[in-house]
Formats: sequence, structure tokens, C-alpha cells
Amino acid sequence: MTTYIIRRLLYTIPIVFGVLLLTFILFNLVGGDPAIEMAGKNATAETIAEIRAEYGLDKPLFFSWDSQFINHFKNALTFHFGRARDRELIADKILRGAGPSLSLTVPMFFGTVAISVSLSLVVAFLRGSRWDTLIVILCVAGMSLPYLSFILFGQYFLAYKFGWFPVFFSPDLVTAEYIALPVIIGIVAGLGGNLRFYRTVMLDEMKSDYVRTAFAKGLSTKRVLFKHVLKNAMVPIITQVVLAIPFLFLGSLLLERFFGIPGLGYLMVEAIGSRDYFVINAMTYISAVLFVVFNLVTDICYVLVDPRVSFD
Amino acid sequence: MINRYGSIALLLFVLVIITGCGKSPSETDKNEMVLRHIMPTKVRGLDPGDMRDRYSFTIGSQIFETLYQYHFLKRPYEIVPLLAEEMPLVSDDLLTYTIKIQKGIFYQDDECFAGGKGREVQADDFVYSLKRIANIKYLSQNWSLFDDKIVGLDEFREYTKGCESEQGIDYSRAVEGLQTPDDYTLVIRLKKPWPQMVSTALADLSTAPVAREAVDFYGKDIISNPVGTGPFMLEQWRRGSYFELVRNPNFRGEAYPLEGEPGDAERGYLDDAGRIMPFADKIIWTVILESQPAWFLFLEGKVDSSGIPKDNFGEAITQNMQLTESMHQRNIHLKTFLDPSTFWVGFNMLDSVLGKNKALRLAISRSIAREKFIELFSNNRDMVAHGMVVPLMDSYNPDIRDEGYSKYAPQEAKELLKEAEKVHGGKLPVLKLAVPGTDTFARQYGQFLVRQMTNIGLEVEAQYMDWPTYLEKMNGRSLQMFTSGAHASITDAQDFLQSFYSRNWAPGANNFNYSNPEFDRLYEKAVVMLDGPERRRLYRKMEKIALDDCPAAFLNHRVAYVLHHDWYKNYKPHAFAYGLSKYRRIDLEKRQAYKDLLKKLK
Repeated sequence: MTTYIIRRLLYTIPIVFGVLLLTFILFNLVGGDPAIEMAGKNATAETIAEIRAEYGLDKPLFFSWDSQFINHFKNALTFHFGRARDRELIADKILRGAGPSLSLTVPMFFGTVAISVSLSLVVAFLRGSRWDTLIVILCVAGMSLPYLSFILFGQYFLAYKFGWFPVFFSPDLVTAEYIALPVIIGIVAGLGGNLRFYRTVMLDEMKSDYVRTAFAKGLSTKRVLFKHVLKNAMVPIITQVVLAIPFLFLGSLLLERFFGIPGLGYLMVEAIGSRDYFVINAMTYISAVLFVVFNLVTDICYVLVDPRVSFD
Repeated sequence: MINRYGSIALLLFVLVIITGCGKSPSETDKNEMVLRHIMPTKVRGLDPGDMRDRYSFTIGSQIFETLYQYHFLKRPYEIVPLLAEEMPLVSDDLLTYTIKIQKGIFYQDDECFAGGKGREVQADDFVYSLKRIANIKYLSQNWSLFDDKIVGLDEFREYTKGCESEQGIDYSRAVEGLQTPDDYTLVIRLKKPWPQMVSTALADLSTAPVAREAVDFYGKDIISNPVGTGPFMLEQWRRGSYFELVRNPNFRGEAYPLEGEPGDAERGYLDDAGRIMPFADKIIWTVILESQPAWFLFLEGKVDSSGIPKDNFGEAITQNMQLTESMHQRNIHLKTFLDPSTFWVGFNMLDSVLGKNKALRLAISRSIAREKFIELFSNNRDMVAHGMVVPLMDSYNPDIRDEGYSKYAPQEAKELLKEAEKVHGGKLPVLKLAVPGTDTFARQYGQFLVRQMTNIGLEVEAQYMDWPTYLEKMNGRSLQMFTSGAHASITDAQDFLQSFYSRNWAPGANNFNYSNPEFDRLYEKAVVMLDGPERRRLYRKMEKIALDDCPAAFLNHRVAYVLHHDWYKNYKPHAFAYGLSKYRRIDLEKRQAYKDLLKKLK
């Protein structure tokens, strides 16, 4: 197992290098000069030159030990991302945004997975019934509606009209109060797609011989579903669930904007809008690293849940 | 097994929820007077030397103070002393300003000072703040205000170019035009007369005194650690989320104005005359980027005032531009005021097609139905702009509307287009209109203007771009036509006219790259004159010269519509000032009564 993990970790080096190279080339090819943008209106050529020097943009791109790319690479590996265009430390921005983002996305994620996996078992068991048809219709309807409409509807009725939840973040509120509604909206909006996926997975399993055998042996429905079917359906579930974890870090832009949650989704989109390459680079790099790590975790989980898979 | 995983998941969930948003907010006492506002965008930083946007000014002006400020109530707008004892003593040649600074002004307490106690402000603090802006390593956005103005300051900037870093600057280096004969006197010597200096610079937040101890202590993090002399100080700033400001216990206290303009007493603006400010204990600005939650919070009484989102305009305002019954039921008040802004479609005068073809520029200007534009994009709130100068300025020419520079005349436009083709020597190429923004609103804006121009037979393509791209192209003088605008920061029309002076070509304020020797001659003559009838006459003449040349099709002046609850007192709109929270007062009983009213209404 250790050898396997070390081998997989070694594979990550060229991947991370590739990500760093790609982002660097992309931002330098299509990005234009960030110093001009940072200097703002009415800036003199001297001011722009000073900004270039301040952010190291006056150095050669590649072919020097002190080139922009080497520095970009060094900074990424040491997680020293420097300062954003607004002169705040990028690490501070990311650390500050991670908490609110995760406070929203983690409960949303667990809620969606728990509800959709449980419901999918029930729906798969009731396949062909009116309940099954109704839930499939609702799933398709849920998938067809834009995410924004869930937010507008939820905020208007559940918060403003009925007053069950706060409309927006306020410093007077504790975290659980103001994230409750966005979490519920996130779970409801995500149920359609997830439920349909897990239903298909469960249906494949329900058709298997071992399920018929289990029922023939007189096992209870609950035991067959949760002990046997769920265990055998774990591989696709793990793939879906574990690979979604790195994206939790990126937050949820729309929910964050509409409910005032100062997370990383907002930070990323704002950085893209203002072409803050320093922040975009840092976020892209962290996301890539997380993705690679969780890919590895997924593979290890396969071995743990499925005896047919081994580290060899 | 499942139970164990479930417990871990639950534990994770609880941990994330508890730790999610870090520092817990300070408690709010029911009897505490808290002003609650909306901040519609992110604030860049709170270092006055590098502030240039109105949102940073809005927060910064509660914390920092300037030598002069606008009178809160008087109209026409008037400048009065704030940290200065009196208006400056100006020499006969208009080159030397002697300013007496009030004694007993203290910085807020902060750990950057010895023993954590804020020290007294002295004349040297103003000199330091100006030198800091001149320091090229500091990269202030405000340098253009002082470029080639104060004796010796440009030389100081030159000196900083040779320094290794911001920390290596010797601020004790003398600047001839910035003298402090004693601790409470500041003498500024100018290279040439600058009669607008008091309103443009000394009442501008960029010149607020900054303590050197604070800059040294916080370094680059000074942007989020403001140390000022104003009525409030920063308690918490959760970037992208909210600001919480509390009273500054070191604030000396300032009396509410005793007089205003006629009618102010009847409107209740003088109820607090002579009382010591600030009235509020705390101010909270919540950053709300979307209009729906902002509007709901206002209706719920959780913020004191609000603009009117375009989509909710009909809910708040009738077709007669009065408050609707539902707003009256909630005791909501409406305030309207002319914003000192002008918006236009600009023409790049260096462009080979547009620059030498006045008939084409005029045709485009005549093709735009401004009234329709205002109806569509501002719910009929705005005014047609007949020129660049805003009507609330002294130098505004009331007869300018009769000149017809902004008239909608599609038939005349078509005739002009024929002439334009002759000038061009054939069929005109497809014109490109740059629109900053890629959202729905920007696209609607661009589509409307393109449609107007294509209606007269022109071929026009709108190019939507994000702000940095737009700015880069603008500064590079490569845009052909562009939508843009300006917001005046002072009552002097020079703020608009400088956009047509040839020495200010892009990346300066003159984005049109317009040049007219007669305009330049009058501009150079007028900017060094004191305000008076002669200067106003020159300003009007200059405006007319530029309008005749048509470097832009002027569209509209914005009119602001603001709603506020009846508990929010002393809410008199001001077009130029930002540090107004000290004047505001909350009627706590009325605010409480609104909660009962809401229950009844629901």
C-alpha cells in the first residue's frame, strides 16, 4: 500500500507542474499587462513600471533563474502566494474564505449525499410504481430548473414572506442561523441530479442475483438494501462523492452572493472579473492539488470497499 | 459502522458550522444607536493616501478627516473648515496658502502609538501624508492630483524613484513648498495658482493626516488597519461581508450645523442644531451585491436606507414619480437629488474614420433617442445631458438645452450620414462601440445604442469587455467609440472640462484624445482664476467649443432616488460629501414601532 501511495504521489508531480505551466502561459498569453489595470486611470508610465517591479512582472518570463515562471513555481510549492491586486495577502484571503465556504458546502454535501442515497434505495426498491414515476418526474423537473430560481424562490418565500429564515447574513446572527436556508436550497437544488444517478446505480444492483438470493433466504428488506445493495454500490458512490470533495473548497458562488456568505466562490469569481491573476493562480493551484490528492483517496477507498480491487 | 460514520459526519458538520465564520460579532444592545447601511460592492482598502473610489471614501470618511469639508446643509455647496481652524490665508499671487490647524485633535488609540494612546495631530502629519502620495514606491492612485502643483514635491518624487523600497524613503527630506513654521501651521507653496486646491485636494480624503507610526507599524497591512481622527473607528472588517465602526472615544466632538438653506428647519434638518456629534454609537455596513436581498432587508427594516432596484421601481414609485401607497403605509420617505454625473458615447478623435469626420459624429449624436434611453435604463429617473457640465454647478449654462446638441433628429442624422460618406470618400466601414461589462445590463445598453445607430443606416458592432480590458484599450487609445461617464468630486466644472484638455490625453482624463487650441488656451487661463463670473463665462465658452466639435454624444445626468425609513433622521442628500454618518440619528422608538407595523402589514 505504501509503495502504491508513493508511486501515485510521484505521478502528481508532472500533473502539478503541468497545471502551473498551463496557468502561467495562459495568463501571460491572453491576460494582458496586469500592471496597466492595477495602475488605474490617469496613471503615468513610471507608475506602471513601478507596479511591474513591485509584483516582479519586469523579470524575464522563462529563461533565467529569477524568471517569472521559476518564481511562480517556487511560490506555489512553498504556498507563498504573495499579495493580491488590492495588496492583501492571498493566503489571508483564502484562509478567511475557506471557513464560510466549507460551512456552506460541507453540510450541503453531506445532506445531499445522505438524502439522495437513502431515497435512491427506496425508489429503486419501488421501481415501476407510481412513487418511482413521481420521483423521477420531480428529479427531471429539479434538474431542468435553473439554480438561480431555487435561490430566488427560497429567499422570497421562506425568508422574506414567511420569515422562517433570515434573508441575509447579519453580524448579529450565529453561523447556523444564516446558513440554514442556503444549505436547504443547495440540497434541494442538487437532489434531482444526484437522486437520478444513485437510482440508476441501485437499480443495476437490484437486478443482481445476490439480491434475489438474499430475499429468497428471507432477509428483511432493510437488511438487503442497506447491508448488501448499498455495499455493492459503493464503488460508483465513492467515485461520485470523493471526487466532489475538492470542489467543496471552491464554495458556491450564487448562494454566497445571495446570502452574503464571504466564501471562496465569491473570491474566485471576483478575481476572474477583476483579472487578479495572482489570486486565480493560487486558487487554481490549490484546486489542482486537492483534486490530485482526492483522486488518490478515491483509489484507496476502492480497495477498502471492494475486495476485487487490490493495490497491485 | 454506519452509526460511527454518521457520528463523524455530524461532528464535522457541527465543527464547520461553529467555526465557519470565525470571529463572532459584537453584541448589539437594544438601546444602542446603530446605523445600518448597504455596501453594494467590495471595498478595496482603507488607506486614504491610496483611496480613489466612492465606496472606500464612504467608509474612510467616517474614520479619517480632512482640513476642510462641505457644509452639510447649505446649498449651493460650501466648503468649511474641519481640522483647520479657519479658511486658508491665501497670498495675493495665489501661490501661498497658510493653514492654521486646530489644537486638541487626537488620533484614535491604537497599538501603533507608544502606550497605545493616540497622539495629537500636528502640521507635520499633513506634510508626511502629502510626501507619501508623492512617493512613487507607494504607488498611490492620487498622485495625478498633485503632479506639477506644489513646489519641490515633484523633486521629492524624483528622489523616491532612486530608492530601493518604500521603507528606504527619507521622509525628513525637505520639500520647499511644504513648510511647518510651528506644530499647528501648514504652509503650502504652489508652482502656479490652483484655486480649486481647497475643494479638490484639501477637502479630499487623500490628504487626510495619516500617522507615520501607523504606517511603520502596519506596513502594507495599513489598508485594513486605519488609524484616524474621525468620529468613528474600525471595530471589525470582515472583507467581502461587513464593516463595523464604533465611536472613537478620542473624537473631540463637533457641533451639528446651526444653519442651512431655506426650508431646512421646516424639514427637520435643524432639529439637532448645536448638538454634539456623532449621535450614533455604531455603524454597520453589510456588503450586499445582489439587489433582491438588499431590497428585502430594507423592507424588513433591517437597513435604514436604500436605493431602488430597477426591478422593484414600480413597487416603490408610481408613474407620477411619487411614492406608492405601500411605501406610505410603511412610513418610508423618498429623497431625490441630482448626482453630479454625466454619461456619454465617446469618440476617439485619433481614429482614422471618426476623428476627421465631424458629420459622422454629429449623425451618431442625432441618432440617439435619449428620452427613450432614460425610460428604458433608469425608469425615467435621469435627465437628458445637453452638455458635459451638470446643472447643479455654478457654471452650468441653462441655455445649453436650446442649442440642440443632444437632440434626437433621425432624418437630420441620415442627411449628415450622406455628408459623412462624402468626407470619408465612400461607404463607411463597420464601426465598433466598446461597452464595459459583459452582463445583461451592459448588453442591453450596447444593443440599444447599436440599434439607434443602425436605424439611420450605419453598421455598428458592440464589443463587450470586462473593465480591465476596456481600461487597457482606452489607455492605449485603441477604442473607436465607447460608452463612458464621469462623476464630479467637486462643485467646480473643471472636473468635467479637464476631460477635453489636450495635455490630458489617454491615459489621462481626456479619453477622447480631443484637441482644440482655443479650448486649451481658455482652459489654461480659467484653471488659475478664482471662482467668479469671468471664470464661469470662460467655462461656458469652453463647453460650447467642445460641443461644437462633438467629441462625444452626451446621454444623461443621473438623478438619484433614495428611500429611507422615518426613524432615520438628518438624511439630507449631499452630492459631494461622504463622511455624513456623524450627522445621522436614529429614532429608536420609531424603529421599534416598525416591527409592530410589519406584523400588522403581514
